[in-house]
Amino acid sequence: MCLGRNYLDHIKETNAPIPTEPIFFVKTLNTLITDNEPIIYPKILYESEKYNRVDHEVELAFIIFQTCKNITAERAFDYIQGYTIFLDLTARIMQKSDRDINLPWYRSKNFDSFGPIGPRIVPCSEITDPHNLSIQLKVNGQTRQYSNTKHMLFKIPQILEYLSKFVTLERGDIVATGTPSGISSIQPGDVLEASIEKIGTIRHEVILEQI
Amino acid sequence: MKIDDITINPTKIICIGTNYMDHIEETKLEVPKEPVLFPKTLNCLISSDEPIIYPKWIFNNRKYNRIDYEVELAFIIKDKCKYVKANDAYDHILGYTVFNDITARKIQVKDITSKLPWFRSKSLDTFGPIGPRVVSNQEIDDPHNLKIELKLNGEIKQSSNTKYLLFKIPELLEYISQFFTMEHGDIVATGTPSGIGPIKPGDLLEASIEKIGTLTNKVILEEMVS
Repeated sequence: MCLGRNYLDHIKETNAPIPTEPIFFVKTLNTLITDNEPIIYPKILYESEKYNRVDHEVELAFIIFQTCKNITAERAFDYIQGYTIFLDLTARIMQKSDRDINLPWYRSKNFDSFGPIGPRIVPCSEITDPHNLSIQLKVNGQTRQYSNTKHMLFKIPQILEYLSKFVTLERGDIVATGTPSGISSIQPGDVLEASIEKIGTIRHEVILEQI
Repeated sequence: MKIDDITINPTKIICIGTNYMDHIEETKLEVPKEPVLFPKTLNCLISSDEPIIYPKWIFNNRKYNRIDYEVELAFIIKDKCKYVKANDAYDHILGYTVFNDITARKIQVKDITSKLPWFRSKSLDTFGPIGPRVVSNQEIDDPHNLKIELKLNGEIKQSSNTKYLLFKIPELLEYISQFFTMEHGDIVATGTPSGIGPIKPGDLLEASIEKIGTLTNKVILEEMVS
């Protein structure tokens, strides 16, 4: 589960309205990659004049520790196993064009390999305050996104309280908390490095899909 | 999960929105040029005879208090596949079953109007009854000629035929698999015909498709454990 529009600077750059409740969308499990696996740039996007843009979005993610439903914000941290880095890759023009005609944000977010995660899960005991971590993303060594998790609009306890009203969460479920400003497009050949303080860095090369 | 005697472990549920002309007319949506895809998360799955739980906070919320049934023909993926051609689609289908795409309609309408994802309205616990069994390709040689209906407390509310599907199953699998790798057990629900309407606690839903059978679920109000 991913949050949209959860950093004010990102909301401004996308000209989106400020949400009054957390906005969730789904990434399906086919998106997950790890351990330096390549991000595959889909050929159907690359060869499409209309849709050829894929963006990076670095995010802090938390992993659910145990089955939970209808939990309160006060108890949220009891249900979190730890934190990791998530890259919410997005076919941006496809997302916009779907949104413009009131369609769900699904296909643009869920291409295979569009959800790199890692490099490790840091337990809550090591990160006592997840809302004060610097977060950044570099493309080919150049910093594109640079912020701090303190700028999150909805904080983790609120997020988990809200989300668990709708769905039962299970051990190992992943919640990505939204991206700061600085999103930009990637190309085959690029190397992405996404880092969060106290967690580490994930590094993924972008390669063009070979069908 | 078990559906009758078959165990499936789906990694995703993909639903097709607005895929029957009559339903498109009743919801005043535009006729799609490509299939409209949205996911439901796995927490929504329940079997025949398990209760659909009406969330208490929706029940008590005057703005959002409407939940609808939507009977659908679903197909189950047989093996890992990507870039399936329409001509080969049936080689990758394990079989067919009945799916009820329960939807918190007013939340959905609000989110659609705000150009937001459809997650909150579609993925609540128990909002995806499936069953009562998976019928193989051999038993159903033409999935596009099956009567489909939904009864609410014994009264027919939806009654149509899968021949009215706008995008047919082979096209759907070709379209979907150009985006996502499909895995054994993954579920694709093909959309609902007209006649959607609200449910309330105490209701009994019977969703039937010819040659498959009837998926029966009672609606109960959520009891919050505090």
